[in-house]
Amino acid sequence: MKANKFAAALVAASLTGAAYAQDEEADGGTGQALYEANCAACHQYDGGGVPMMQPELILSEKANGDIGGVIDMILLGSAAVPAGTSGYSNEMPPFDYLSDEDIALIASYVRTHFENSGGAVTADDVRARRASHAGQ
Amino acid sequence: MKRQLLAILMMSAAMAVPAQADITGVAEDAPIPADTGIKLAPGFRATVFADGIGAARHMAVSDNGWVYVALMKPEEGFGAVALYDSDGDGKADERVPFARGMSGTGMGINDGHLYFAEDERIMRWPLPEGGAPEGEAEMIVEGFPNKRQHSAKPFTFDSDGHLYVNIGAPSNACMEKMRTKGSPGMDPCPILEEFGGVWRFDADKAGQTQVDGMRYATGIRNAMAIDWNPHAGALYIAQHGRDQLNSFFPDMYTEQQSAELPAEEFHRVEEGADIGWPYGYVDPDIEGRVLMPEYGGDGKATTDRGQEPLIAFPGHWAPNDLLFPRSEVLPAEMRTGAFIAFHGSWNRAPKPQAGYRVVFVPMDEAGAVSGDWVTFADGFAGEGPIMSPRNAKHRPTGLAEGADGAIYISSLMSGGRVWKVVYEGQ
Ligand code: HEC
Repeated sequence: MKANKFAAALVAASLTGAAYAQDEEADGGTGQALYEANCAACHQYDGGGVPMMQPELILSEKANGDIGGVIDMILLGSAAVPAGTSGYSNEMPPFDYLSDEDIALIASYVRTHFENSGGAVTADDVRARRASHAGQ
Repeated sequence: MKRQLLAILMMSAAMAVPAQADITGVAEDAPIPADTGIKLAPGFRATVFADGIGAARHMAVSDNGWVYVALMKPEEGFGAVALYDSDGDGKADERVPFARGMSGTGMGINDGHLYFAEDERIMRWPLPEGGAPEGEAEMIVEGFPNKRQHSAKPFTFDSDGHLYVNIGAPSNACMEKMRTKGSPGMDPCPILEEFGGVWRFDADKAGQTQVDGMRYATGIRNAMAIDWNPHAGALYIAQHGRDQLNSFFPDMYTEQQSAELPAEEFHRVEEGADIGWPYGYVDPDIEGRVLMPEYGGDGKATTDRGQEPLIAFPGHWAPNDLLFPRSEVLPAEMRTGAFIAFHGSWNRAPKPQAGYRVVFVPMDEAGAVSGDWVTFADGFAGEGPIMSPRNAKHRPTGLAEGADGAIYISSLMSGGRVWKVVYEGQ
């Protein structure tokens, strides 16, 4: 097997320290930290998404519309999008195992960043959306 | 430090001293020419063959010089376009859309037919003398289940009338719950029964479905890059490695490790081969295949399930097409090698994204790698570092060779573009 062993080894050695430092900083329990841990791999740190694969969250309709838009995406993932209507090649998993509080923090972060102005949501809003889906 | 990482990766590619073949890659410090937006290995020259054609994917070139391009999204209602340069200036002046109401990735020519793959089916038309194919397409294989993730159907042909189709796994690591932290990998992975491999069909028989095909090789997460090596008489693929090691296992993989791992794997695939997804992945620093963390791995333990790749490319570069040139026009030491288009990463965040390039792999006639790979074409993404994939100006998505030896490269970004690259000698 041929590989850029030299490059990989150097990089691993020189950068792990920085990566750890960043992890610690981000682990503050804030909406941003939760977004970065759960969502940013796909939607990117700048909310820019990946063309054709994952939508950008910048000026997202859902993040500027009804209280439930982003909450439902987090609770249901791609199941919140009517079948056959998606223009994206990846699928979003549900994050229903996160607490109502964490989901509210993430949804609020998305709705108040990336040029969105949908405004914050509360854990009660998340509870209400969860209950409405449980009845379906 | 981020710049240093990219610089090191790029330098090691550009400065690699080939063991046998004498091939020089793109000069790392060369500026990106403004007219074409890409820089090339010495001796090659590019023109922008067509611009604004839509979400260009794989391509095929007829002996008459017509270039057929598959589009991932319909462009004004058509899923493919035929291009032709009638005055020989390196720029297409004819543009004929076809495949109305469709969209897809796979495009190929075999035995007098033009083949096109939507995600659910593969069809063909008699190859026209010129222009777009006419009449109803004949369905060769139909009814592939479309599960969205990795649903494109790139394909290739051998010289005995077989059609080889990549049927990607609609999954990241065969977790019980799709891309969900803490969800274990399923063993055996049931997805492999219908997906995650290459299936072989009769290239000449209409009306087949997947059960009429034969599972030629398994354990392949998704191989957008698939081609028959005509010199060695064997199938080769490059696989898109798994994503999100750090998202799911933050205690085991730092962001930096997650950006670098796993390697993108280049394989020779014999009949019956098992490449190893989802049970293991490749870390260039570890001998053998590393056990996937969803299957109990700790980032170090290895597994004997799967085969070793010929080359481990840097993580998440996303190999999107593979081309074995067939003409006699390229320099002798390049004629039996392979070009691989990497459409570039998205899974390296928060580290800079990388890949966006076409590489050349020197190989001998028997299909063995004979030297270190070099970067053949670069600069697609524009001046870096690219922190978010949307900022990449272009991302190479397809490769094809003309009968005259020209290499065509497609990109689906910025409205879609095709370059024509010709060898002019040293
Ligand atoms: C595995 C990749 C992935 C992850 C992780 C992910 N998403 Fe998504 N997201 C997607 C995809 C793909 C879509 C498009 C959904 C569809 O069409 O099925 C999407 C859609 C969305 C939308 C709707 C955008 C629009 O304008 O319609 C929002 C809002 C969203 N995601 C927020 C989030 C948040 C918040 C998180 C973290 C809790 C998250 N996503 C995690 C892939 C992902």
